[in-house]
Amino acid sequence: MKKLIAAVLTLCLLLCSLSFAAAEEKSTPSIAIVVAGTLGDRSFYDSAKEGLDQLAAEFGTKTTVVECNEGAAVGYFDGLWTAAAGDPGKGIDGSDIIAAVGWQFYDDLTEVAEAFPDKKFLFIDNALEEIPANVMCITYAQNQGSFLVGYIAGKLTATGAVGAVGGEDADTINDFLVGYAAGAQYAREDAQVRFQYANTYEDPAIGKECANALYSTGCDIVFAVAGKTGEGVFEAAREADKLAIGVDGDQKYIDPDRIICSMVKRVGKSIYDVVSDPEAFFKGGETWNADMATGYIDVVYGTEDMPQQASDELKAEVEQLKEKIISGEIEVPTAFK
Amino acid sequence: MDFASIFNVSTLLNTFNTATIVILAGLGCLMTDQAGMMNIGIDGMMTAGAFAAVMGSWLCGSWVMGLVFALAVGLLFGLFYGVFVIRFKSDEFIIGVALNIFAVAITTFILRSIPGQTGSFHPATGAVVKMPSIDLGFIAGTRVNLSVMVPLSWLLVLLCWVMLYRTPLGFWLHASGEHPESLRSVGRSPERMKFLGATLCGLFCGLSGAYLSISYLSTFTENMSASRGYVAVACVIFGRSNPPLVFLAALLFSLIDAVGQRLQGVVDPTLTSTFPYLGTILMMVLLALRNQAKKKRAA
Repeated sequence: MKKLIAAVLTLCLLLCSLSFAAAEEKSTPSIAIVVAGTLGDRSFYDSAKEGLDQLAAEFGTKTTVVECNEGAAVGYFDGLWTAAAGDPGKGIDGSDIIAAVGWQFYDDLTEVAEAFPDKKFLFIDNALEEIPANVMCITYAQNQGSFLVGYIAGKLTATGAVGAVGGEDADTINDFLVGYAAGAQYAREDAQVRFQYANTYEDPAIGKECANALYSTGCDIVFAVAGKTGEGVFEAAREADKLAIGVDGDQKYIDPDRIICSMVKRVGKSIYDVVSDPEAFFKGGETWNADMATGYIDVVYGTEDMPQQASDELKAEVEQLKEKIISGEIEVPTAFK
Repeated sequence: MDFASIFNVSTLLNTFNTATIVILAGLGCLMTDQAGMMNIGIDGMMTAGAFAAVMGSWLCGSWVMGLVFALAVGLLFGLFYGVFVIRFKSDEFIIGVALNIFAVAITTFILRSIPGQTGSFHPATGAVVKMPSIDLGFIAGTRVNLSVMVPLSWLLVLLCWVMLYRTPLGFWLHASGEHPESLRSVGRSPERMKFLGATLCGLFCGLSGAYLSISYLSTFTENMSASRGYVAVACVIFGRSNPPLVFLAALLFSLIDAVGQRLQGVVDPTLTSTFPYLGTILMMVLLALRNQAKKKRAA
């Protein structure tokens, strides 16, 4: 009996090591994303996760997600540290590339990056003032994409007033808002643009309150720039029978009748590119501004079977504007100095 | 920024809608408070209720089942609290804190393991059925759409007041906290009354969670109650566990919140989100002053 058990166990071990050997055939470094909030926002963080899923599917890349829940579950520093060093207690292995997703890591990233000089770090959505050699910052020209959805809102509004719900009064969010306002005013000079800040990315109930406040003052289109909080904006749009615009991912499917389009920031694609080909994409000590010219910023309208609020002519106008932005003919204002 | 854009029908509507979350949770909290137990696990009970409501509504395709699930889970949490605090005489604060942490953890765990979703609940098939609402049409340009839970919560406030102050049951509940010995002397078990309080608390919190997840919104997100349970506790303290007063405190709190949101054009937006909390502190200071004045009069 003992021998049988021993034989079975040996076989198991052999199989295990074989399966590991199969998984070892990866051609990419392992990647961990550390998100400042939690997944499930169907927006910014989930977009980053999509990049990971794609890597795992195509290359069998080992991927890890650490969620900080706005620092409540795991501190930002600890989250980064866990992703880099690993945590055997939680079954997390240290990864080769660590992507800090969210501007919130600004204070802690440098220290962690310096402690792991042989690992690569990506700072998504913000730039450090002094960038260590093993860190690359990726910022996104969200003002350009927001300009386009602002233009669409400006063209479609019946009341002449459009709104936006921002996650908080911070540079990255304000960059969306100034672009959006400029776009709406480009479409019609008399457009009124109103903002509400939710001061949270994780509470849809507040998002609904903010959107209701905007709709009640005559805005008929609201741009949600607040992660999970934005879900409440769509809820408010449904109840008030008004329109909304999604952000970061293609959110139209959430409510095709009320969401006109989404301004996408392809966070996942940028992570995918860096991990699948680090030699071409990873530039330590630098900031990469992923913009409209490179296709990381765009406007999407869901799939064709969904009802479209934006007409084909309007979409064509948006395409023309896109070219003007890429060529520099239109310079979109930014919240960053 | 004119007066009409800050204070209008929508402001009031928002106030009533968000206050209902706090009112229902507050009714729960005051039931334990009446029985001499301070329950700070309200927030956790709400989260659990919200999660159960979404699950029930989605699995059975009916909001009634969502409500049933939420009440059942609320009941379980209430009994859990009761067993530890009344039976095993554990510290009520520690149990409350434990409930809060436990509820967030268990709902997150189940969400990630059974429907396999992270962060928030978005079913690929089927939908979360919302509770019915009453469409009152347009009032001053705002579409007024009230959930049935809003007027129902007002009715519950009245019922609770009648129960607590006009029936023997209410007096027994109160006595179980204040004078358990006198209750025992008339042949009633204070423990049983305390259990009743804990159970009612669980039910009301479940209801509050259900309103949040399948009426005000139609989704569940991790840690959904977002500390609204603590606001309910504050309202109960401010309203001295009297249902109508707790109701008014919750309304006041929500009004400050709604007005704060709309003041963002004038006041720095990072400041406006502190309004409800500043309001709470102000309420507490007023309460302390009033109590002091009362003591002086008594002396």
